[in-house]
Amino acid sequence: MDEAAVPVMPAAAVRAAPLALLEAVDRDGHVRQAWRVEHWPLTIGRALDNDVVLTDPHVAAHHASIVATSVDPVADTTGTSAAKTTLVVSAGDTKNGLAVGTERIAGGATRELADSGRDLELRLGRTTLRLRLPGHALAPEQAMSNAAIRDMRWPVTAALVVGVLALVLGNTWIDSDPEAFPRAVGNALLGALFVGALWCGLWALLSKTFTRQGHFGWHLRVFAIASLATLALAVLPPLIAFALSWPWVTDFSFIPLYATAATALYFHLLAVEPGRSRLMRAIVLSGFAAGVAVSLWFNVQRTGRPGEELYMNHLFPPQLRAAKPVPVDRFVESLAPMQAILDRKAREQAGTDGDSRTGNDEEE
Amino acid sequence: MKIRIGHSALQVALVLVAGPLLAQPRPPSTATPPEASASAVAAPPVSLSARKVYEQARSQLVQIRTVLKGQASQTSVGSGFFVTPQGHIVTNFHVVSEAALKPERHDLVYVTADGREAPLKILQIDVLHDLALLRAGDADAKKPFDALAFRPEGEKLSQGERIYSLGNPLDVGFAVTQGTYNGFVKRSFYPQIFFGGALSGGMSGGPALDEEGHVIGVNVARRVDGEQVSFLVPATFAAALLARGRDAAPFTQPAYAIVDEQLLQHQAMLTDRFIQQGWKEATHPRYHVPVPADVFMRCWGSSEPSRTGGLDFERSDCVMDTRIFVGDFNTGTISLRHESYDGSKLGPLRFAARYSQSFRNESFVRLGAQHQTKPRCNEDFIDRGGLPLRAVVCVRAYKKLPQLYDVSVLVATLDQNEAGVQGRFDAQGVSFANAQRLAHHYLDAYRWTKPPSP
Repeated sequence: MDEAAVPVMPAAAVRAAPLALLEAVDRDGHVRQAWRVEHWPLTIGRALDNDVVLTDPHVAAHHASIVATSVDPVADTTGTSAAKTTLVVSAGDTKNGLAVGTERIAGGATRELADSGRDLELRLGRTTLRLRLPGHALAPEQAMSNAAIRDMRWPVTAALVVGVLALVLGNTWIDSDPEAFPRAVGNALLGALFVGALWCGLWALLSKTFTRQGHFGWHLRVFAIASLATLALAVLPPLIAFALSWPWVTDFSFIPLYATAATALYFHLLAVEPGRSRLMRAIVLSGFAAGVAVSLWFNVQRTGRPGEELYMNHLFPPQLRAAKPVPVDRFVESLAPMQAILDRKAREQAGTDGDSRTGNDEEE
Repeated sequence: MKIRIGHSALQVALVLVAGPLLAQPRPPSTATPPEASASAVAAPPVSLSARKVYEQARSQLVQIRTVLKGQASQTSVGSGFFVTPQGHIVTNFHVVSEAALKPERHDLVYVTADGREAPLKILQIDVLHDLALLRAGDADAKKPFDALAFRPEGEKLSQGERIYSLGNPLDVGFAVTQGTYNGFVKRSFYPQIFFGGALSGGMSGGPALDEEGHVIGVNVARRVDGEQVSFLVPATFAAALLARGRDAAPFTQPAYAIVDEQLLQHQAMLTDRFIQQGWKEATHPRYHVPVPADVFMRCWGSSEPSRTGGLDFERSDCVMDTRIFVGDFNTGTISLRHESYDGSKLGPLRFAARYSQSFRNESFVRLGAQHQTKPRCNEDFIDRGGLPLRAVVCVRAYKKLPQLYDVSVLVATLDQNEAGVQGRFDAQGVSFANAQRLAHHYLDAYRWTKPPSP
């Protein structure tokens, strides 16, 4: 075994190419420390006689060792290629064991490290180690910040922000009386700027904490797009409900609103935890589903119906009405089915109320 | 000034004169010397005939107490009087409503001026006129009761005649107050006598007597926003109730079925009379807006120009004085309202936002969930001879009064960019068929005064 290794590693070339590189990686994927592996076996643990000494308290004194074993003696005789070595990891005397990728290895067990051509991830206690072997493909050079998030088009963001401010201004104009408008403008614009800056600033702070970069521009853009969508949702569903006399559109317009909020949250979170987009998507989707379910339940409790509005209460200028008005006769006739529903509700609720009231009445 | 009085009249309205129902039961202030309080009220000294009337009626007069079962504490007090030697007593329905509607929890007793106490049974009620016929539980064929006689129907009182109201105000003690007969209350749905004298809580159900000591009415209510504006139920209705119920079996069950039946009669009459009375003319320059004739309703108007160059509007509120007391709530009344908006200073978009806001700002919940279902609504655009309207009709059902509903109709005109009228109609305690009839009647009343030139 030793003889076979010699030609591969001539003494003069010892410093040139290590056998492998072992990196300690933090939760954000940043390398904290790296060790050149000059020989196998490699021992890892907290004790000082290890090759790689870790300080993690969840790591045993002699936690693991990686041994190279030679296989395929047939290939060896051809002499053309280097002897293939296979790495085997064995867990030492450890309570916590270790994990290779997703595979757990208990204390005392041994496992062969299948080399898939990619860096191997070992987890010992709270420490994540990355083992890079010579033939592994290198990840491409990264730009100074996350590509997707860094690739900001500032003019577009600026245009979006201007759009939001214009809509806020428009809303203020509509909501304030002519003589009160000048005062309202200042309040509205300052308010919008303050809220936007605070919101994006807080997200940037979170991004900075977890990714070391603020991504303020990204958050601003997400916020601006979400604000535009929210403002559009404040007008479009009511307009459709009015024009076509479809009350259900505004009855359930809180659902697209929640969807907008959930989407915005997802994109904000993406700039905080760029590596966990699937987890974030799951969180946001379940949050959205829970929000819709709670709102529907709350509406049923409050009004006996899942929708939000008792009646369509949005009026627009008469020209925007598209639905045909019906004669009074037909409208009044259409009330008839309500009687059976109300009678049923009156009966079933009167029954349950009678029971609950017996307890309450004495407090009067 | 006039408007302010009008508004308070709309809001305050009547207070029934039973103990716990009194809006502000002032306990007797023992610190005030009697002279001072007498001069403060400025009531004339009780005359000789008041003394005579009280002495005659003293033994026929009772206080009626509603007592919590098993607790012996009274929940409300009122007054009443014997009308037959067999121990029939007349009082107000609202004095005995707790015992009538929740007999499992309340008992009725009467107490005479000399302190004799005995149980009472309810024989019949008349919720429309707020009367109840009771019978003393200690009625005994051998010992007849002293009874008050009703004033014969043919003998009319003239306005200004002195009358006397008797009862036990605020549980202080039996009292006689004198005042004047002022004829019948104007625009009342059911006839009521306008008594120009003071009534206090606890006097409800007591008799009002003429100078001969004959019953002309039953104390029922007073206005808290006025002085000495009180109301009596005419004796005819008490006499009718006595004739109808003197041999009836006492109530053993909660009286909801009887209340329901009487309210069904009431709503039938109310709907017919309301539709019959028609609408006022010239309520708006552009539209016919439904405003009822002042037969049994009263309308107050106000104009509210914007102080910030915004939306100007005028409003009109029409209400009935009469409402039917049904224990925990009132019902059996109709009200209408409309607002006429002028947004010419605003432009179409700003006007639409405010018009929409006003349309949104409506509540369709009146009573608690123990009394009524949540509202169900139906809505659509309505065509009234070319005038497009947005109409919403919401209906609630009463839980303990089957086949009775509250209906509300909300209307907004949709033919102008910068002006419009929004109206609301409410009828309480009507049958479903009448709810539909009234909604139809109300919606039909909207139209252009003349078709607009294009």
